[in-house]
Amino acid sequence: MVRRARGPPSRILYGVIELQHLTKRYGGTLAVDDLSFKVEPGHVTGFLGPNGAGKSTTMRLILGLDAPTSGRALVNGRAYTSLRRPMREVGALLDASAVHGGRSAYNHLLSLALTNDIGAARVAEVLAQVGLAGVARKRVGGFSLGMKQRLGIASALLGDPGVLMFDEPVNGLDPDGVRWIRDLMRSLAAEGRTVLLSSHLMSEMALTAERILIVGRGRLIAEATVAELTSRYPSLEDAYMALTAGSVQYGAAR
Amino acid sequence: MSVLTSEWLKIRSIRSTSLIIGLSLSAVLLGFGLAVMAAGMYDSAPVDRRPSARISDLEEVVVIVPQLCMGILGTLAMTSEYVTGLIRTSLTIVPRRWPLLGAKAAVVVAAALVIGPTVVFGTYFLSRWVLGDRFSGAYTVAFLDRLPVLATVSLTVPVFALLGLGLGALLRSTPAAISITVGLVYVIPIIIGNIPEPWSERLGSLMIAALPRQITGDGNANSVYGSLLPPVAAAAVLVAYAALPLLVAAWLLRRRDV
Ligand SMILES: Nc1ncnc2c1ncn2[C@@H]1O[C@H](COP(=O)(O)OP(=O)(O)OP(=O)(O)O)[C@@H](O)[C@H]1O
Ligand SMILES: [Mg+2]
Repeated sequence: MVRRARGPPSRILYGVIELQHLTKRYGGTLAVDDLSFKVEPGHVTGFLGPNGAGKSTTMRLILGLDAPTSGRALVNGRAYTSLRRPMREVGALLDASAVHGGRSAYNHLLSLALTNDIGAARVAEVLAQVGLAGVARKRVGGFSLGMKQRLGIASALLGDPGVLMFDEPVNGLDPDGVRWIRDLMRSLAAEGRTVLLSSHLMSEMALTAERILIVGRGRLIAEATVAELTSRYPSLEDAYMALTAGSVQYGAAR
Repeated sequence: MSVLTSEWLKIRSIRSTSLIIGLSLSAVLLGFGLAVMAAGMYDSAPVDRRPSARISDLEEVVVIVPQLCMGILGTLAMTSEYVTGLIRTSLTIVPRRWPLLGAKAAVVVAAALVIGPTVVFGTYFLSRWVLGDRFSGAYTVAFLDRLPVLATVSLTVPVFALLGLGLGALLRSTPAAISITVGLVYVIPIIIGNIPEPWSERLGSLMIAALPRQITGDGNANSVYGSLLPPVAAAAVLVAYAALPLLVAAWLLRRRDV
């Protein structure tokens, strides 16, 4: 039996992320350049691109943390910042290490949950779901990177949202954890959720995602299904290498 | 309301909070120790020198401790989130942003409203008990006559809490915000005491420590602080210390990228 977060009965489980000519400039750096795409429910969408391509910036723009220079990002047709209880519509993990080390996992999650009127029962539920129930009362500062990733995923799941975004959640996980994330992402998508997932691990992405967005220097390079890419190239990694060849900014000399 | 309970949990669930509160309350012990020492010195002084012996109001000496501590509590409420990066999560789940700052303000003010009067009145009553009618009866003045000053001095503690929070939110840096708070208490009064009149008295009237006795109309005799402000103006200046940095911070919080 799965108990849902306390809340209005008719919540939106199906979510859409839509970018319209989204652009972000930091001083002289064009981090995101006229980016338009739609992320739809029911499958995992992989978000790929070289270091500095603008993936994390795009996610911050979607979440209203940074203001776009021009264009806009919509979640379920609305600007994210207009959402009143955003955790029930969007869950995000940007940086798993962004926690206060002195707080316990339970108190960390409860402090997040309370802001969106989510109760303690749901906190216990997500802790169990990510396998941290046994260390719920331990200080987060003592957690390994993999445990912090699990904690970050738990915080994204708190509001049982229809839209989920994860920025490199596989970093630091052991093989067991990598498989766990893969299965979790796929099952969240199979429940009808919208899942946007960034990663640099191509073989892992090939197993997890169904659709792929590739960005380079802030611009959209390719938008395709994994099946399309692997039929045209030997592997997803080869497809990525070929497509981003002109967009790598921080590569070693070859 | 929900953001308020969240912030209340946040501040309760880190260890530095109890350290800061413990340190604040230890100011009462400091005041008690000063009173005992003063009584000892008074009693061992030759009888003919006793009538000229003077003592500062000890509660106004030791209140510096909770002022600084609550300033730091306010600062850390905001800057600890910037240091750890937690601020991104906090502002993602409270996208209107200002309720987060408002809830932090309410929580640190609540703490300071307990700590401030506890230290000031605690020190006052202990000193009164220890010193009796020594020092020409400095502590035998009727309690009700001292009450206005004690109450306004207590209120400077929540002002520091909000000042610290506002500076922390503006500067997003623990050392920068704490340096300015400490500077306001220690450094600027020393500078002001050493500049030419009339500026020394003019600026000296604007210092936080100068405000309580201007608000109550008692004035600051025998100190570096001036007494030029009428009560209402002094109260307005005290409120401004708390409100101005916080309002600017709230305005910027809505506009800045995180
Ligand atoms: N706050 C900021 N101020 C200035 N420049 C920034 C800021 N955030 C990002 N940038 C710049 O924007 C560009 C895109 O960065 P971003 O972090 O979005 O890339 P990314 O695709 O997430 O890279 P990675 O794969 O390394 O995580 C980079 O050139 C980066 O230096
Ligand atoms: Mg990134």
